[in-house]
Amino acid sequence: MSNQPVAGGGAGTPSGATRVVIVDDHAIFRSGLKADLDPDIVVVGEAGTVEEAVAVIAAVRPDVVLLDVHLPGGLGGGGRDVLAGSAPLLGSTRFLALSVSDAAEDVVSVIRAGARGYVTKTISGAEISDAVRRVAGGDAVFSPRLAGFVLDAFGTAPADIADNELDRLSARELEVMRLIARGYSYKEVAKELFISIKTVETHVSAVLRKLQLSSRHELTRWAAERRLL
Amino acid sequence: MTTAVSRPPLARSSDRMIAGVCAGLANHLGWPVQMVRIGMVVAALAGGAGVAFYAWLWIMVPTADERAKRNARQPASPIAPAVSDLAGAGLPPGPAAARPGVPAGSWRTRFPGMPYGKEILLGAGLLLAGGILIARLFGLDVPLGTLIPVAAILGGAAIAWMQLDETRRAGIVDKTKADQAGGWARLAAGLGLVVAGVLLMVSGSGSWEQTWLALLASVAVLGGVALVLLPWGLKFWRDLEAERAGRVRATERAEIAAHLHDSVLQTLALIQRRAGNEHDVVRLARAQERELRGWLYRDPGRETGQLSDALQAAAAEVEDSLGHAVDVVTVGDCALTERLEAMVQAAREAMLNAARHGGGAVSVYLEVTDDAAEVFVKDRGPGFDPGSIPADRLGVRESMIGRMRRHGGTATIASSPDGTEVRLRLPLAAAAGTNGAAGTNGTAGTNGEDTQ
Repeated sequence: MSNQPVAGGGAGTPSGATRVVIVDDHAIFRSGLKADLDPDIVVVGEAGTVEEAVAVIAAVRPDVVLLDVHLPGGLGGGGRDVLAGSAPLLGSTRFLALSVSDAAEDVVSVIRAGARGYVTKTISGAEISDAVRRVAGGDAVFSPRLAGFVLDAFGTAPADIADNELDRLSARELEVMRLIARGYSYKEVAKELFISIKTVETHVSAVLRKLQLSSRHELTRWAAERRLL
Repeated sequence: MTTAVSRPPLARSSDRMIAGVCAGLANHLGWPVQMVRIGMVVAALAGGAGVAFYAWLWIMVPTADERAKRNARQPASPIAPAVSDLAGAGLPPGPAAARPGVPAGSWRTRFPGMPYGKEILLGAGLLLAGGILIARLFGLDVPLGTLIPVAAILGGAAIAWMQLDETRRAGIVDKTKADQAGGWARLAAGLGLVVAGVLLMVSGSGSWEQTWLALLASVAVLGGVALVLLPWGLKFWRDLEAERAGRVRATERAEIAAHLHDSVLQTLALIQRRAGNEHDVVRLARAQERELRGWLYRDPGRETGQLSDALQAAAAEVEDSLGHAVDVVTVGDCALTERLEAMVQAAREAMLNAARHGGGAVSVYLEVTDDAAEVFVKDRGPGFDPGSIPADRLGVRESMIGRMRRHGGTATIASSPDGTEVRLRLPLAAAAGTNGAAGTNGTAGTNGEDTQ
């Protein structure tokens, strides 16, 4: 894809490469993923359990952590425990959740724990490299399914002025989410809505923030129905 | 037995006042339950005929569960024994193989020597009663003083033994059933009747004073026996509970094992055999993933037969037939109607086209709001050249655009070098026919013609 790694995204990497830690309990998957990633993404560490992951992340301070949602160790919360253990680093290190499961409870819980995006493990090498660069640049990565969950949770009606800012999506954010749910890439969304890719990214990040911070009644209920919170 | 054709079989119903006889009878005859119950009570008042009839049916007619078990007595899962062997659960193969069939065994399987014990006993009892009645009619002096205690004992024993009726017993063992209290009450009543009968017989229907004394003594003896046996009883009960819990776990594991055996192991075997054919392997893995996902994450509380289910089924069908990944995302849902069924068919056609002619994964998005249901089918194919639509593609277009229009919806097809998207929209309100048709004409004219 056309996007460049954002300048300053890779702290401490003079060459501009993105430094990545892969956290997954399957060694076969880790090595496969390492081989699939583009050359400008450097794997600087690997971990197979929650404890290992927290230690490795604190030691190498990567730009991006590719984090499996289901991990042994910790308090049994898998990826969420890694996020909790790495809380002080959340400002500099971004987390991209990976999972074989696209169940709502897995997706939404890691996002609310602080992950900047979510992709399924069946994604191709090029797509995951693109997602890593995007997350390293501070943007959010939404899969169509995650966009679907967001629309389901926040409702498909646009926000009124009176609404709490965190509780509803603006009309534009809804449009962006809908297009992503329909399978559009950020570039295609930008083209469709006659806005820049940067604007699309801004909208997606705003939605991510709302998903992480909103304590909206409907979202709570939606999550409770699915045993998420 | 009175088994007429085209009637539900005579079986005691679980909707019961006493033993479900009236409800079962009403169900069998097609009469209202209340009527049968009142009739039974009236018959009972008329010289006890109703009581006898009721008792006869109670004993002779199996419950619905028993009937079902009798008709289909076989292991729940034919592969369960094989799987539990495979899992190396430490169970000896013999019992493991026999277990699935046995726990539901009825009287008949456990006492093969007396296949009709209940019926013969009942017949003997009825014959005896009849003989006594006839003897009385002919003026013979029947010693009622001994007969009544005997009848009391038999009746009490019968009431107590009813506990061993299969469903009752299950109800007592299964603590969650509210039936338990009733069971205990019945047991106590039976015991009381038997004790009273025995006392009457032994004391020779003597004075009340004597009877009371004897009653007190017998209660004291019973209490002593209970005190001695209580620890054993408790231990036995706990063992029973533990065994029951273990059986539930074993059943669950057997279900999971059976499912994995049927699905995942089979697929893995197929994949190993087809390892050379990448296309087949991907298709198999994809189908298995979908199936397993559905099984793991299904929400038992959710209604089935919704629009999203139908769309997902259509996507699965396309995936299976063409081996092309189709990702479905749904937001909102509603019950499937005939018109929505048409939209699913149109969407299926769009998915088939996208999988055949597009590249990469096919994205399907369903959004249901109060006003309308919308389906978007997107592929990443090279787009279309308007001039090169083969004539036979007209049928495809008809099945999407025409079908949507006939049901008051719209179909738009937007194609660019980056891919093609089919947009289907069906207003959910009933008064949507006019604007739907107009919309279709407009969009089909501009975009629809230059596609497949």
